Amino acid sequence: MEFADVAAVKVVSTSAVFLMMTIVLLAVARRISTSILVFGLQSAIITAQVAGTAYLERSIEAWVVAGLIFVVKVLGIPYAFFWLMEKLKSRRDVQAATTPAQSVLIVVIMIFVSYAAVRSYTFGIRVPEDALAAAVALILTGAFLMVSRRKALMQMLGLLVLENGIFLAALTTTFGMPLIIEMGILFDVLIGLLLMGIFAFRIRDTFEHLDVSRLRRLRG
Amino acid sequence: MVLLWPLLIPLLGSIALLGCRDRRIANWAALAFCAAETAAIGNLVWRVHKSGALEGQYLRADGLTSFFLVNIAFIMVLSLVYATGYLQHMGEGRFTSPRWFYALVNLFLFTMVGVCLSANLGVLWIMMEATTLASALLVGFYNTEGAIEAGWKYLVVCTVGIAFALFGTIVFYLAAVKAGMSHTSALDWSALLAAVSQKQFDPNLMRLSFVFILVGYGTKVGFVPMHSWLPDAHAEAPTPISAMLSAILLNCAMYALLRYEILVSRAIGREFPGALLVFFGLVSIVVAGLLILVQRDLKRMLAYSSVEHMGIIAMGMGLGGTLGLLGALLHTFNHSVAKSLLFFGAGNVRHNFGTLRMDRVTGMGRSAPLTTAVLVVGALAIVGMPPFSLFVSEFAILSESFLQSRYLVGGVFLTVLSIVFGGFVYHLFRMTCGEPQQVLPKPHFTRTEYAVMFIAGILLLFFGIRIPEVFSVLLHEAVKVLQ
Repeated sequence: MEFADVAAVKVVSTSAVFLMMTIVLLAVARRISTSILVFGLQSAIITAQVAGTAYLERSIEAWVVAGLIFVVKVLGIPYAFFWLMEKLKSRRDVQAATTPAQSVLIVVIMIFVSYAAVRSYTFGIRVPEDALAAAVALILTGAFLMVSRRKALMQMLGLLVLENGIFLAALTTTFGMPLIIEMGILFDVLIGLLLMGIFAFRIRDTFEHLDVSRLRRLRG
Repeated sequence: MVLLWPLLIPLLGSIALLGCRDRRIANWAALAFCAAETAAIGNLVWRVHKSGALEGQYLRADGLTSFFLVNIAFIMVLSLVYATGYLQHMGEGRFTSPRWFYALVNLFLFTMVGVCLSANLGVLWIMMEATTLASALLVGFYNTEGAIEAGWKYLVVCTVGIAFALFGTIVFYLAAVKAGMSHTSALDWSALLAAVSQKQFDPNLMRLSFVFILVGYGTKVGFVPMHSWLPDAHAEAPTPISAMLSAILLNCAMYALLRYEILVSRAIGREFPGALLVFFGLVSIVVAGLLILVQRDLKRMLAYSSVEHMGIIAMGMGLGGTLGLLGALLHTFNHSVAKSLLFFGAGNVRHNFGTLRMDRVTGMGRSAPLTTAVLVVGALAIVGMPPFSLFVSEFAILSESFLQSRYLVGGVFLTVLSIVFGGFVYHLFRMTCGEPQQVLPKPHFTRTEYAVMFIAGILLLFFGIRIPEVFSVLLHEAVKVLQ
């Protein structure tokens, strides 16, 4: 076996572990900027996995997807987030509702739950159990970040983590959806982020803070 | 090309309208694009009627599509004509000018027509997510504290909900690929329809997928407990948008759900998807029905009523059977007409009284008789009183539940309907009767606004007495796709 083949196989098989590490890092991050960097790292790991799969499957479509993800999620989105933070002049801490220790405990439980959840479905199909568990864990972590972090920016980041998880699920189970669909999904995510950015500005201008948990006029 | 026109016109419209700086020109241009879109949809519906179904690579249309497109076209005409009058009251801001309003509305229409026309489950998801994106700015259009909060909530809740639908789509795709379909055809609806009855789809994956789809698209339909965005968005959006959200967006989400229901029930039988739909439908009916009683804001009450009616539609779909499906489909249309009428009436209340708080408005019957008449007609229709059309569709669904000897379902349904009746009558009587407290300057009276409401009211009455031949043909063609 050639060196490149070995490398690709290793990347695909070990990326799940690294993704689990980013999940724990996201749980302990106290600053928004750290979270953004961790998200960039996470996307880079996923890019590597797509590239590894593309190499092994000899698929040009997958190379295109890898390139897109690298440009959008590793470079574009973190850059846009830093720009947004600069413009909004928001405070730097994530304003978590849970302490870092509690957060770690919760995400670790989530990782266990993910393994338990995918067990019955990986039985019949040839998918790596670790990767699928990592995907489900990412989805859960994204949802957890959205409910436990009060900053509007962190809610956006949580959504992106969730989206990363769904993308990974598609990648590991079916080697991704058709290219045109992937591109459409990526486009929607980008527009969604743009709109949330617009709303973040409006929230800041109208309420003079970015703490989403204090938006509670509409009830019942 | 027939399939492409209904998508191209609103897309071009939104670009063109952004250039119309003059208020009057913007109004006329919006109406012109609206007329063109109606013609394009009419042409498409006619072709579908002639040839059964139109298939393209990413777009397709059949009887069900036609039915929902007619619904979209009808509400679009009503809302846009109403909007031309409504926008006169609206102040001029940087992004709150008519041209932005019309441009965004056209974009919103483009995405909803796209949902109905998509042939590919991936495209369906993309379009569904795009409806949220196109309408979020419209929900936050007034830029007040409430509008921004509602817009943010709408964007976040629906995006997360739709993300679950994406997961469901992927699981469905996995099931199709595992069953031996090629990667390109595993998301194609027509190919899937042909395959589900022949190939062996993994029932576990199908169930998992349907649950995620139901939660995901159900968020946009407004099923309890995923409904939290709905009352905020409906209450804070400009009135024509409230009407569009309630009358067509929720139906479009229901349409997306139905496309999956058809596939899943053919693959693993009707029981599982049917039971889930009936369950979510009943929960929505009960919770929303009780919440209607305690509302203070008129538009919020109407929004909860939308949740209730979506529950009724889901229940009818879940029960199945000819009567259930006919009733549910007819109810989507009837509900849109009645609910837009009520929202238009609520818009007038806001203009005349400056508030939507129901406890602050009294004696409306004397101070604003026309608006009162609109609200009373709308309310009687929405609670399902004969001779209005909602009685017919609700009665059909109820009969189906008793035909299938599901007395519990029918009983709960009837009980909640009577509670909702009480709630509407109570709130409305407090507003209309008594001495007028406010001294009104002079009630705004735009002829176009009242013309629209008059048409909607007449239609509700007419459909309650007799369903026209043309419409009944449409309805039966749609049911044929569902069965």
